[in-house]
Amino acid sequence: MILERLGKELLYFDGGTGTLLQEKGMKPGELPETWNLTHTEEMVDIHRQYFEAGSDIVLTNTFGANALKFYDTEYELEDIVAAAVVNVKEGAWMGVHDGREVYAGLDIGPTGKLLKPMGDLSFEDAYEAFKEVVQYGEEAGADLIHIETMSDTYEVKAAVLAAKENTKLPVFATMIFDEKGKLLTGGDIPSVVALLEGLRVDALGINCGMGPDRMLPILEEILKYATVPVIVKPNAGLPKQKDGEVYYDVTPAEFAKTMRQIVEMGASAVGGCCGTTPRHIRALIKKTEKLRDFSGREKKVPNNRTIVSSYGRAVILGEEPRIIGERINPTGKKKFKEALKEHDIDYILREGISQQDAGAHILDVNVGLPDIDEPAFMKEVITELQSVTSLPLQIDTVDVRALETAMRIYNGKPMVNSVNGKQESMDAVFPLIQKYGGVVVGLTLDENGIPDTPKGRADIAGKIIKEAEGYGIHKKDIVIDVLAMTISSEPEGAKTTLEALKLVRERYGVCTVLGVSNISFGLPCRPAVNSNFYTMAMYAGLSAGIINPLSEDMMRSYYSFCALMKYDENCECYIRQYAGKGNAVFPAKGTRLTLKEAIEKGLKEEAYHMSKALLADRKPLEIINEEMIPALDTVGKGFEKGIVFLPQLLMSADAAKTAFAVLKDALKEAGDVEQKKEKIVLATVKGDIHDIGKNIVKVLLENYSFDVIDLGKDVPPETVAEAVVREDVKLVGLSALMTTTVVSMEETIKQLRKKKPDCKVMVGGAVLNQEYADRIGADFYGKDAMQSVYYAQKCFGGQET
Amino acid sequence: MDSRIKEAVRYLGYGRHAVDEKTGELVRDSFRELDEIAKGRLIYRIFELEVLDDSRVSLGELEIISKVLAKNMRGCERAVMLGATLGIEVDMLLRRYSFTDMSKAVVLQACAAAVLEEYVDGWQREYEEEAGREGYYFRPRFSPGYGDFDIFHQKDFIRLLDSAKKIGLTMTDGYMLTPAKSVTAVIGMSKEKVPCHRKGCEECRKTDCLYRR
Repeated sequence: MILERLGKELLYFDGGTGTLLQEKGMKPGELPETWNLTHTEEMVDIHRQYFEAGSDIVLTNTFGANALKFYDTEYELEDIVAAAVVNVKEGAWMGVHDGREVYAGLDIGPTGKLLKPMGDLSFEDAYEAFKEVVQYGEEAGADLIHIETMSDTYEVKAAVLAAKENTKLPVFATMIFDEKGKLLTGGDIPSVVALLEGLRVDALGINCGMGPDRMLPILEEILKYATVPVIVKPNAGLPKQKDGEVYYDVTPAEFAKTMRQIVEMGASAVGGCCGTTPRHIRALIKKTEKLRDFSGREKKVPNNRTIVSSYGRAVILGEEPRIIGERINPTGKKKFKEALKEHDIDYILREGISQQDAGAHILDVNVGLPDIDEPAFMKEVITELQSVTSLPLQIDTVDVRALETAMRIYNGKPMVNSVNGKQESMDAVFPLIQKYGGVVVGLTLDENGIPDTPKGRADIAGKIIKEAEGYGIHKKDIVIDVLAMTISSEPEGAKTTLEALKLVRERYGVCTVLGVSNISFGLPCRPAVNSNFYTMAMYAGLSAGIINPLSEDMMRSYYSFCALMKYDENCECYIRQYAGKGNAVFPAKGTRLTLKEAIEKGLKEEAYHMSKALLADRKPLEIINEEMIPALDTVGKGFEKGIVFLPQLLMSADAAKTAFAVLKDALKEAGDVEQKKEKIVLATVKGDIHDIGKNIVKVLLENYSFDVIDLGKDVPPETVAEAVVREDVKLVGLSALMTTTVVSMEETIKQLRKKKPDCKVMVGGAVLNQEYADRIGADFYGKDAMQSVYYAQKCFGGQET
Repeated sequence: MDSRIKEAVRYLGYGRHAVDEKTGELVRDSFRELDEIAKGRLIYRIFELEVLDDSRVSLGELEIISKVLAKNMRGCERAVMLGATLGIEVDMLLRRYSFTDMSKAVVLQACAAAVLEEYVDGWQREYEEEAGREGYYFRPRFSPGYGDFDIFHQKDFIRLLDSAKKIGLTMTDGYMLTPAKSVTAVIGMSKEKVPCHRKGCEECRKTDCLYRR
């Protein structure tokens, strides 16, 4: 068994196959995987050469063998994969002369597609593609699954899950980094290691992209974070070109020399990638043979850092204090509840973005509300949030199904809120942490409630940590929340919490979190109590406060604490935040602008203050009709004439939106019922993932008081038709950017005609023109965003301006 | 004015109009942000090229049917095939602004296009010099989707350049490049110098285009 040897002795992989295949006559453009069937002898010979050179693990020629990449009308994927495994075994039979145990590694490469939301491949489809291959591979007798050359954390997660859930084989995963230690999709080394270890791969590492020397600093960083054995498979240098051919020029001797260094640093399995040959492997083995046995190797200090990650970055807890933004949570927030009920994802995303801008390091995500399909909604919110923020997320739910759904599709190693000392809770949550990886918040309460002594709470923390051990979950992946009870009803509440914080850190050395603001419940001037308690808690050892980063009081405490405790070198952050910042107050009086002018000029702040000021002696509706609408009309007309340009049009729209929000609140307070708004569905059609055009139209339509139902991008025709029927919508706007996706636009129109004949369709987008729009049967072609506003007004019988 | 600012303003549809102060500020802010997060990556390969007749071009293993490409490549014996991208972070930033500040999103989008052009131009100037020493002259860049050069060739470019693995440049089922701020192109190389200042824009037959140079 390979797992018995891995990490105890040096294991050798094979090297590249591309060069050898070319030597054997493979033509450019041929699918290398077909050679498993068409050139069996040559394939077996290549594998034999590597076994003869001394490789322990030889990879199958299946790098591109997945349904998304491999299209061949002649051969079935299953046959290719099966033949590939057999070829390696055959190579072993012919090439291993010393009776040593060797292994056929099923090679899995990337799909070559970018995953949603930035690309068009869904996580589930990627998973299915990998699942198919790993199943074929295991059936054919592969000894392990080797996922390599991955440049996307999300894709590698799909591949690892597919391998773990559908086979019993050991799983290795190696990624391709650039020289700055970043993935092509932006991930850094700690985030990658945290993700892969969370998913419980048996070994991880780096391959391809560069030669061995440039991998040294990257390996050093990987070893800093990894606890599982590390694999290193460099290219024979950087690719060079001559006469249109790509080649690599690091010689076997040079290769072996640096590889020895790599082994000495602590790599556990080594081999080569592009441009390396059996000669490279032979030289490598010769040079490192004496290092084969690890029994003399210095024992590595295990990595005990608590790391959460997103696709792009890792956040380490336990050093300087971190901020978990609490605002994505409906508890006690009327507007947020409304947004949840109305499925207003944009509102939630803006809450996320504003917290990031305010300094949050992690975002808590709670979308629990009665009558909501929490698993589906949580999944959607997590996916969307990860497309606008690179902050790691804390999945906050009591619904275990929602938790699993979210953990599965989360790109990174999430924080999970929460488990507690009740057996039932631990039985439900720990298996998920074990499977998907994550850092879990352990609440110090159990069947008997919340203990009122520090010791009682610390004991529950101990129970949680111990139970987790049974699942193989290290205590670095547990953070304890000792709970803050409001001091208005529990006079000892704050003291108990602070002492418990200290005790938990001392006793177990684990990280801690705390929902801070609960402490002041029922008191006046809560920010004062909260921010002071926050400082005290950080001093008592709080690793991450769950707070409102938009609260200036809390942030002042945070930045002051970091400056005072030397977490902020030279007080740089503190100075950046506060230097030169007096209490700037907008001069509401004395300015000569009118609200109309502020909107025309696109001045958002001014529009906000001016509309507030105007409310003192005018009615909201009057302001809307006499100031705002005329301003929007002026700007719209200017745009048509070509004297106002798109950015200005949008700035005015934004200013108007801000003013509208102020006036809308005033209307509500006055008990006036808002006018019923006409609904318009907007969508970027299936296959099209660029939605800036659609978003521009949306902003303007909303400005003109239409209720826009935004279905997003890459929307299937059925989804548009369904929404239109369900909401009884009379106007749809469709956007397409490419000739290749106008087909979906045509199909969408067809379905709409059939299912909702009274619904009008307007279209727009880079490739469209009137002729094209007519041909696909649209009612209206909008050459720019304002045209769609005018058409909408016309459709709903409003005045055409 | 900075040439990339000029380009960005043109992409924003200003034509010959001067840019207003607030938009100008947004443009400068956007370039600042892009300079920080855009990660230009480029991959290229040289292929043998032959213009077979007035609508067929053989490029390496490919045979491309396109009148405009054949015209563009006349007299060339080789071609550079290239793919370049600014990386996924730019897409994310754009997406972020489209939720919080649409005018910024629109300006950023235009600026990113200008940064990409500038990046590829910069590489091309350098490489042109190198090829010049071997006696080659470059033709203007030509991309799948220009005129009758079928967008479906995008797939060949991605495959032949192995761009997914090398620079993270991939394509959707609808033949859109992902990340969004990416380009693929072919540049003809000939031993004879032909005056060819015409770039993609002037070559296009959509003469009423708002963004035309």
